Amino acid sequence: MYKSGINNGNYKCSGKKTGFLEDVTVSENKYLGADNYLMKVFSENVKKQVTNPKAGQFYMLKLRNHIRILRRPISLHSVNFKTGELEFLYKVIGKGTEELSILQKGSILNIQGPLGKGFDIYKKSENIIVIGGGIGLAPLKQLIKELLKYKENKNIIFIAGGRNKEAMNILENFLLDSKRVSTFICTDDGSLGEKLNIAEMLEKILKNNKNPDIIYSCGPDKALKAVNDIVNRKNILSQISMEERMACGVGACVGCSVETVSGMRKVCHDGPVFYSSIFYENRGEINGN
Amino acid sequence: MEIDIEKKCKSRLETTFMGVKLQNPVMTGSGCFAFGLEYMDYFNPNKLGAIITKGLTLEMRKGNNGIRIAETPAGILNSVGLENPGIDYFEKHILPEMNKYLNIPIVGNINGKFIEEYVELTKRLDKIEKIKILELNISCPNVKDGGMAFGANPEIARKVTGEVRKVTKKPLMVKLSPNVTNIVEIAKIAESEGADGISMINTLLGMSIDVKTRKAVLGNIYGGLSGPAVKPIALRMIHQVSQTVSIPILGMGGISNTEDAIEFFLAGASAISLGTAFFPNPMVALEVIEGLEEYCKNEKLNNISEIIGYAHSDNGIDYRKKLKLRK
Ligand SMILES: Cc1cc2nc3c(=O)[nH]c(=O)nc-3n(C[C@H](O)[C@H](O)[C@H](O)COP(=O)(O)OP(=O)(O)OC[C@H]3O[C@@H](n4cnc5c(N)ncnc54)[C@H](O)[C@@H]3O)c2cc1C
Ligand SMILES: Cc1cc2nc3c(=O)[nH]c(=O)nc-3n(C[C@H](O)[C@H](O)[C@H](O)COP(=O)(O)O)c2cc1C
Ligand code: FES
Repeated sequence: MYKSGINNGNYKCSGKKTGFLEDVTVSENKYLGADNYLMKVFSENVKKQVTNPKAGQFYMLKLRNHIRILRRPISLHSVNFKTGELEFLYKVIGKGTEELSILQKGSILNIQGPLGKGFDIYKKSENIIVIGGGIGLAPLKQLIKELLKYKENKNIIFIAGGRNKEAMNILENFLLDSKRVSTFICTDDGSLGEKLNIAEMLEKILKNNKNPDIIYSCGPDKALKAVNDIVNRKNILSQISMEERMACGVGACVGCSVETVSGMRKVCHDGPVFYSSIFYENRGEINGN
Repeated sequence: MEIDIEKKCKSRLETTFMGVKLQNPVMTGSGCFAFGLEYMDYFNPNKLGAIITKGLTLEMRKGNNGIRIAETPAGILNSVGLENPGIDYFEKHILPEMNKYLNIPIVGNINGKFIEEYVELTKRLDKIEKIKILELNISCPNVKDGGMAFGANPEIARKVTGEVRKVTKKPLMVKLSPNVTNIVEIAKIAESEGADGISMINTLLGMSIDVKTRKAVLGNIYGGLSGPAVKPIALRMIHQVSQTVSIPILGMGGISNTEDAIEFFLAGASAISLGTAFFPNPMVALEVIEGLEEYCKNEKLNNISEIIGYAHSDNGIDYRKKLKLRK
């Protein structure tokens, strides 16, 4: 079985600064349909290369309304180191994300991050599969960009799933014009692409192709569970990005802890990206709820 | 333990709390600051008065299942359930890191399922030089055994405080639960059993329901409420308790800025601790420390201790006398 590579040293402190608090300026906050928004912000720290956010890492966004005291964790969708622009792709599901959605061009937003451990980038692969469902597609743009940086990565299969055609508008912003990426779209109602869920799509693709070197996935609990079952059965190396309720985002409150075969892990600090293998012994309890 | 503030204070915030000299009276609430290293990206934790560790137990604990954090208006509910790696792991892996990076006093937060466990853990922590104060948590609302049940039952509270007192000479503070009808009674018991201080308040038992699933949000159904929402309750309780005991109080519960902190001193707290406030604002501790220094300067106080208990009917004079504080 694949080793997670994470030892029990989650209390180790490198003394190296990794997270920052920063007031960033919103340069765009666009509605994409189906409650999804794309927000672009300008970060001085990114421009000056003080921080180097990576695919799979996330930021804690501060809300203005003090009644809602917790920040909201949102993944890095994309980063442009030249312009200092960060992109967030988010779905309005409650009051906090609704508050984010009304920010206008020029608004100041306090962000904390980049936080957590992102995806491990494989540099020489025949085949890589990247799977995203719904708003779980958010961290995958940056991931695909980082994978494409390595010419030795020959072929990337991108499976994108969502509720319906409108929900898939988020793909507009993915810039997948590379010949090395083949995109497979599926929707619950079949209004775009095939009428399958992402796990079924994966199953179908695996039937016609040999096993990939690695599968990356991010999406709703149920979909992740189904994907996990497949990769476990076929013994494929896989990383998943997880979600948990967070308070601190830095590993201080243990609010986001999940049980793994090698002990308790904090999603905010040891994740949100994990090797699926660390859940194999207690499958069916991926999210603990 | 005698409380005596040095006549000549270098800083207006320098203080002696339960016999331990602190550069300022600002600490971190147990469970909100892990073991002191997690917020190092934002500020140097050595600027704090002291750090209180996450609740420690003899054995490793996994904590509660399911969702553990729920946001509520002006507060959060948590049902972490004392997840911690246990004392062995703490000594072997965490303490060396703390020794490397931290040079301020550490407060060890003690928890057990049975009195024997509290005693055993106290003995272990008693041997650790770095730990200058012990905080006896008999008030965690998220564990079935021990925890809050201990703090809510006067007889058990008496027993556990007394037993723990016997096995340590380190300053001992007892952390009270607000989930009781008469908090003064429990505070008095702690004092009579030899506690050197009281820390209060722990979280208030609460609940949140998801209207879509029609079920409790938290996996453990109920959780502990903290944050600004609990501040008025914490203040009231500290005001009550400080007028009946003569040991110092570490005040906490919803402090999120300098003004809040000042209110706690006025109510009768000798030191304060910040918990939930770190989550929206990782810089909060520094802001409060600087804010308090400025307040002292503006109000022409030689030391922040001069305002302790000022909101009492006698302007806190009796209380400060009892505490053997200046003015
Ligand atoms: C590491 C990480 C990365 C994420 N990245 C993205 C992203 O890129 N785009 C996106 O749209 N969403 C993302 N999410 C989910 C997003 O954080 C929640 O949808 C959001 O916090 C909901 O806030 P709300 O106030 O609108 O909802 P409410 O339900 O009103 O929020 C109430 C509380 O529940 C918490 N909460 C609710 N749902 C979630 C959830 N799914 N995960 C964690 N906390 C939750 C909120 O933070 C808040 O504390 C991510 C979550 C995590 C943990
Ligand atoms: C996530 C979380 C974990 C906590 N864990 C502990 C704990 O292990 N031991 C303890 O004595 N108190 C614990 N507490 C209570 C806090 O130390 C503090 O008493 C309470 O939160 C009130 O202060 P605040 O409003 O400033 O957070 C915890 C609180 C929170 C929010
Ligand atoms: S959110 Fe606090 S430890 Fe992960």
